[in-house]
Amino acid sequence: MIIEILQQMLNGLAIGSVYTVIALGLTVVFGILGIAHFAHGSVAMSGGYLTFLFGERLAIGFFPAMALAMLVGAVIGLLIERLAYRPVRDAPHINAFIIALGLTMMVEGINLLAFGADQVVIQTPYRGVFNVGGVAVAELRLLVILTACTLIGVVALLISRTKTGKSIRAVAQNRPAAVLMGINVNRVSAIVFSVSSALGAAAGALVGALLAIAPGVGEGLAVKGFAVLILGGLGSIPGAIVGGLVLGVSESLAAGFISSAYKDVIAFMVMIVVLLFRPEGLLGKR
Amino acid sequence: MSLPTVRAIGLAVLVLAALALPLGVTLPYFQHLVILALIWVVLSQGQNLIQGFTGYVSIAQAGFMGIGAYSSTLLSVKLGWPVWLAMAAAPGVTAALAVLAGYPSLRVKGHYFAIVTLAYNMVIFIVLMTWSSLTGGEAGISNVPRPPDIAIGGLVWDLDSRVGYYYLALASAALATLLCALILHSRVGRVLVAIRQNEALIEAAGVQSWRYKLLAFVVSAGLAGLAGALYAHFIGFLNPDAFGVDHSLNAILAVILGGSGTLSGPVVGAFAVVFLPEYLRVAENYRLVIYGFILVTATIFMPRGLVPLVASGLRALAARLRREPG
Amino acid sequence: MNKLARSIAAVSAALACLGAAAADKELLIGVNDSLTGPGAVYGLPQANAVQMAADEINAAGGIKAGGDVYKLRVIANDDKANPTEATNSVRKLIDRDGVKYLLGFCCSGPTSAVASFIERENALMLVGNAAERAITAKGTPNLFRTRPPADFTGAAAGAFVGKRGAKNIAVIGSLDVGFYTQYLEAFEREFAKAGGKIVAKETFGLKDRDMTPQLTKVRALNPDALLVLGYVEPSAFVYRQATELGMTIPRYGFTSGSEEQFLRVATSEQMEGVWDLRPTELTVEALADNAKTYVANYTKRFGTPPSPSSPYAYDQVYVLKQAVERAGSAEDPKKVTAEVRKVTVPKEAVMKYLPVGGTMFDVNGQAYTSNGAFQWQKGKWVYVSDLPSDPALYSEFLRGLRK
Repeated sequence: MIIEILQQMLNGLAIGSVYTVIALGLTVVFGILGIAHFAHGSVAMSGGYLTFLFGERLAIGFFPAMALAMLVGAVIGLLIERLAYRPVRDAPHINAFIIALGLTMMVEGINLLAFGADQVVIQTPYRGVFNVGGVAVAELRLLVILTACTLIGVVALLISRTKTGKSIRAVAQNRPAAVLMGINVNRVSAIVFSVSSALGAAAGALVGALLAIAPGVGEGLAVKGFAVLILGGLGSIPGAIVGGLVLGVSESLAAGFISSAYKDVIAFMVMIVVLLFRPEGLLGKR
Repeated sequence: MSLPTVRAIGLAVLVLAALALPLGVTLPYFQHLVILALIWVVLSQGQNLIQGFTGYVSIAQAGFMGIGAYSSTLLSVKLGWPVWLAMAAAPGVTAALAVLAGYPSLRVKGHYFAIVTLAYNMVIFIVLMTWSSLTGGEAGISNVPRPPDIAIGGLVWDLDSRVGYYYLALASAALATLLCALILHSRVGRVLVAIRQNEALIEAAGVQSWRYKLLAFVVSAGLAGLAGALYAHFIGFLNPDAFGVDHSLNAILAVILGGSGTLSGPVVGAFAVVFLPEYLRVAENYRLVIYGFILVTATIFMPRGLVPLVASGLRALAARLRREPG
Repeated sequence: MNKLARSIAAVSAALACLGAAAADKELLIGVNDSLTGPGAVYGLPQANAVQMAADEINAAGGIKAGGDVYKLRVIANDDKANPTEATNSVRKLIDRDGVKYLLGFCCSGPTSAVASFIERENALMLVGNAAERAITAKGTPNLFRTRPPADFTGAAAGAFVGKRGAKNIAVIGSLDVGFYTQYLEAFEREFAKAGGKIVAKETFGLKDRDMTPQLTKVRALNPDALLVLGYVEPSAFVYRQATELGMTIPRYGFTSGSEEQFLRVATSEQMEGVWDLRPTELTVEALADNAKTYVANYTKRFGTPPSPSSPYAYDQVYVLKQAVERAGSAEDPKKVTAEVRKVTVPKEAVMKYLPVGGTMFDVNGQAYTSNGAFQWQKGKWVYVSDLPSDPALYSEFLRGLRK
């Protein structure tokens, strides 16, 4: 019984860490720029498809391919910020949201055109399975968790220790004041979107290795990402980390012990309940 | 001629054309599409109520349509209710569910609200797919019955035929539009529009905005439920695929494209959303990109939608014509 | 050229075309299949197979019936494994394109939707890979199916697994889908006769990819074997995740997936030893020379080997050919339908059919193939043995289901 619980938890940690990376990409954009960037899931899918393509065509390993995809992701983020969101930065928030929906359709459509409608599974050479006291630890899952931790660590350092990070935090706290202090909001906005989309691309690569990339997966990831945000508190990085892992593990436990059919519903119910009773999230402060 | 007279004549022409449509359009395939478009008019008018008038983007409209479709179907197929009764009950069931859903979710605004409604739609979809003992899951429910014929005097309204069902769909679309017109021109409508423009201000003035928002949400869901019932009994086969999040996005597109906050906008939008995929079948793969692009550019450049744009264009044209003597 | 000359030229050209057309008539075939989405693993190969058969027939001079020569033209529509799309697509094929002969139909959901109204249409419907029993149990007069219903195979599979010594088996599958439940019921009946018991029934959706929660649950029960009932892609994930969880018990499935389809998701090592208990579809050792030719031609034309169940659609075209030849014309689908009832197994058919009562299709419009046990050995599906089954008995059972 204990072994079963531990196994379910470990299974959940892998997908939970992917949720965290997605949520991180969402929370930086939402916390700093106030935009619910719903198209993030589809951008993640692009990153996954690109990782697959680079791996196959350029005959490079999984991690180099992922790094390359992250670079492309950063550029995609720049384009999205400049062309789609900046024009409506000062318009009612609802417009930004509708643009997010439109962007989602566009990116999904472009993915469909460029990569087709079949699912894509990124095969990796990491196929080992370790037996730790009855619990099976798959090498791939371990690597996914480690990669996610690394990415999160890097971004956290970027925001807390660098000068750019300081500007970002200033804009997040008080945009008009930041402008008065001479901070270039356009530059901050561009950087935030690049970082966010690079993270998204990485998440897509990880999902592709763990499960698969396919039309429709991106949407589900985006919604789960928002669920994590709401759970952990919008704009909170520690919240995204805790929220993602909690969501992944509880999904796995619920699927294992209650019902696997309604697994996804759990994420949504959690989100709805938290929004109603603690809208600032478990760790949020606003 | 004065503008109101032109409008009245225009409306009369439209009504006559709508009534006579089956004489001109005889190909079953196009009749099928027109009926679907009219059902979507009902759905889009509902979406417009919560999104266009009140300014709250709901991504749950297709989910509510599903609730209406399954309510009516299960009542008539599994419980043996008369079809007319089942179809009449469907909007009520949906509205009741919307009260439950709306009560908590309307406490939050903007993005949060949209995301919660998205979650609602996903939950509804998953439940419809998974609770197969009730809904038949992906395999669905076949042989959903048409309403029985109605005999008035010597005439028989045959609802088994496409032409007969067309008039039912037409009547429903007209009713939905009328309902929204009544709301728009009432005090409720004015409050809703005020909420969209500045909710904080109106709350400061002492109005309990959540009641009005809930009303809009519930009526919008009720209309979606009606659309669902019409849909299920028309197609004759029901399965959850028509009620996914992507269809809710289509409803949003229909409202934006046609014109948020107008009464004719959703009609134009509904027809566009139903007919475009059929004409773009050749460019099927590009359809999503085109739709998304339209949504993005429309929001940036013409946030008020097609109908107001065309209307203002026509007004400008009329003004110019009047200035230039024959 | 002056106006008169131009008109004369136009009229002559038109007459010439008319003359040429009078020699060959066109027989339109509408293929309704899942070309994208989760059903594409079954639908796309079927659509390809129909096109290939049509081209073969045209190259050999077309169908000669009653003094006319028919050249085949195929219109393929994607139903995206979605019943509403399928209905719209068939509507368009019949109303707009004037199609009278509908082939393909790989997936039960969309196929059932079309089957529910096809009786009212002036058309003939030939169903392929869709396994839901109700499709032929209804006895629709203008519907025929080349693939046997799922429970016909399930019974044979249950007896086989029981004989191999497994006593406790855990089932994981898309158990909300009618035909998998039918397969399982029949399996359970025969398995119980051999003294076996089903210790768990876990579900997953047709589009699910992460089955580790269900597998973890099943692993804790220590079963002798695992039975997986799902489409190719989710089953592949189950096989892969079972090895990632350290499970080494035998794995039995019912997918009709090709090697190439599985290798996109799992490695050959992860698949090693997996069984597929299904109709004796396209595996070269099990079938005759037609199969070898079919595989060679398909691979050359489409660049990838055919899927095991694709011949169900290929054979449909040759069934149609024989029926049209017998009817003497392709203009009246009712006459052609009457001939399909009496058709014998075409000599070009790839699958091995077991005729019931002398004709390829029984009174329900159902054809039967034999069932086989296939095992994944070193990267290939190997035919291991036949699964004994009785089509005549099943045919009576199916007839008895009609209310």
